[in-house]
Amino acid sequence: MLDTLETLCCLEGVTGGEDEVRDYILERAMPHADEICTDALGNLMVFKKGAVTPAKKVMLCAHMDEVGLIVTSFTDEGYLRFSQAGGLDRRVILGKKVFVGPGRVLGVVGSKAVHMTTAEQRKKLPEMRDMYIDIGAASREEAEKLVHIGDLAAFDDTVVRFGDGFIKAKAIDDRVGCAAMLKLIESDIPCDCWFAFTVQEEVGTRGAAVAAKSIKPDVALILEGTTAADIPGAEGAERVCELGKGIVIPFMDRGTIYDKTLFKTLTRLAEEDEVPWQTKSKISGGTDASAVQRSEAGVAVAAVSVPVRNIHSPACVAKCAECEDQLRMARLFLAEMAK
Amino acid sequence: MELKELTKCLSGLSGPSGFEEPVYEYIASYLHHAADEVRTDALGNMIAIKRCGKPGAKLVLLDAHMDEIGLIVTGAKDGFLSFGMLGGVDQRMLPAREVRVLSDPPLFGVIDTMPPHVLTAEQMDKSIDPDKLFIDVGLSQEEAVKAAPPGTPVVYAASCDELGEGQLCGKALDDRACAAVIMKAFELLAEKDLNVDLCCLVSTQEEVGHRGATVAAYGLEPNIAIVVDVTHGRTPDGPEALTDCGKGGAIGIGPNTNRALAMELMALAEEKGIPYQPEAVPGGNSGTNAHAIQIAKTGVVTALVSLPLKYMHTPVEVVDVADMQAIVDLIAAYVEGMEG
Repeated sequence: MLDTLETLCCLEGVTGGEDEVRDYILERAMPHADEICTDALGNLMVFKKGAVTPAKKVMLCAHMDEVGLIVTSFTDEGYLRFSQAGGLDRRVILGKKVFVGPGRVLGVVGSKAVHMTTAEQRKKLPEMRDMYIDIGAASREEAEKLVHIGDLAAFDDTVVRFGDGFIKAKAIDDRVGCAAMLKLIESDIPCDCWFAFTVQEEVGTRGAAVAAKSIKPDVALILEGTTAADIPGAEGAERVCELGKGIVIPFMDRGTIYDKTLFKTLTRLAEEDEVPWQTKSKISGGTDASAVQRSEAGVAVAAVSVPVRNIHSPACVAKCAECEDQLRMARLFLAEMAK
Repeated sequence: MELKELTKCLSGLSGPSGFEEPVYEYIASYLHHAADEVRTDALGNMIAIKRCGKPGAKLVLLDAHMDEIGLIVTGAKDGFLSFGMLGGVDQRMLPAREVRVLSDPPLFGVIDTMPPHVLTAEQMDKSIDPDKLFIDVGLSQEEAVKAAPPGTPVVYAASCDELGEGQLCGKALDDRACAAVIMKAFELLAEKDLNVDLCCLVSTQEEVGHRGATVAAYGLEPNIAIVVDVTHGRTPDGPEALTDCGKGGAIGIGPNTNRALAMELMALAEEKGIPYQPEAVPGGNSGTNAHAIQIAKTGVVTALVSLPLKYMHTPVEVVDVADMQAIVDLIAAYVEGMEG
């Protein structure tokens, strides 16, 4: 599971350019799938037969895309202007390494040295339109040979395990869910299941919206990464959820009020199997559930999420045990659906 | 070792101001074979000397500093490490930053950042006060205090990579790239028949006020000093009056440098076809070790040759290897041509 997660986090799949992630998952899923297809947006949908065919059609869902940058123009000196692809906090962008375009051209997000800033400039962050990527090109012509307008840029892909069972990587949101689904596909499962690896979650759950219409599930479980603010400075409910307190089973976020029966089922399963769990102490964020729930005549949705610090940054931090537990919960859920 | 490879090695070493020992060890061992003498002093400076054996020979000092900016642990809260600064850290670089906590054994850490949903729009618009940032080492309070007590230094965890054609991008290139330059120049010159004694000083604690060079220059009493440090390379958002990466070393002219020596270096560069760019250095303090060395003891004839560098004091500093080579060539040509 963790090896799969590490491999998936190193792949580039900035929102709207998920090909590398999809190709990898497709190759691994193919020998184990009973049906496999992609659609016009690039979603990957895998059907696998289980021990039984449940009364309700079950779908698991995780998104392949990650937040990143998109090249918008060149300067005469050969620097790249960019915009965000997915919701990026511009406080975490400056001075980060990125890989631009299919050629994986190394670049850094530059800004003038601190010595040349005023006290006011140091306190206020430059606007994203004033930041730039330096790829070491000496001129516009040289830069244009290496990258193109519209190229996507992903953060540095070094994965580190550290401390007492923690992992640092880019794109843990939501390769963690993809890893869990891939592991399920590669194993025997309790009931028939559709697995939707979706695109463009980060720009408005756009992939899931169409995948759900193709699959037409009755019940869907979303596997996600979710924001944790369990660091000094955030108190009480502001912490949202905490690493080390277990997987998150949400009752509500900004996009979805989750199905109450499924919520209760998941919490019961966690209790019975002694999987540590928590729910969110603040209504924040959103998942593919919002699109899936309101697909066609409606779908019963639930989610199981892994708490992630610095979630939309190059240095996401998660607890390894909770990544494993998300997979355990997904398996328990399928066993319950088989009943 | 080639200049580029040497620079990559030096960039990867951990040596924030006051905690430079690993850098000292590496450089001392590297220069051991080329020097007659390698020694240190109370501040940890690395001093390598090659004597020409001629009576009354002048001493030429080459200086670059080995320390890098960094952080220092001040305490722990819920297992997260609070920290202060070692040198002029750019606080805008800290959020979601990977670091190496220099405990024994070293720890990987991430500077965690409060996510947007618990912040106001105004807070999102601002850089974060370092007092509100903590290093996440994935340990409990008890484990964290034990592993990384107050006083433990921290550096950026960053690789040194090739950027575009012939540029390097990494941490601590201020001033390890220049350390590599004077090491290569010293190595080259040590094989020549010189008319002067040559000292390669790789000094400590520059980032906190030129402290290493202050005492080293006092002890060494050089006749002539060539200080090699970085200067700001031009970026699209910077001031117009800056040096350009890729156009050679910048020879400093101003009160902090000896004008005749600066002119001599420029004439020599012209003669030998070595790329260079003049740089006006206003005021008595160039912000480099030249400030301390020029007024050491009874005064030293001092030159400042600077390497243009972009994004100074970040983990993604950028230099051009051709500029570094140009400075090696200029120093070698100058020292070799000296007549006792």
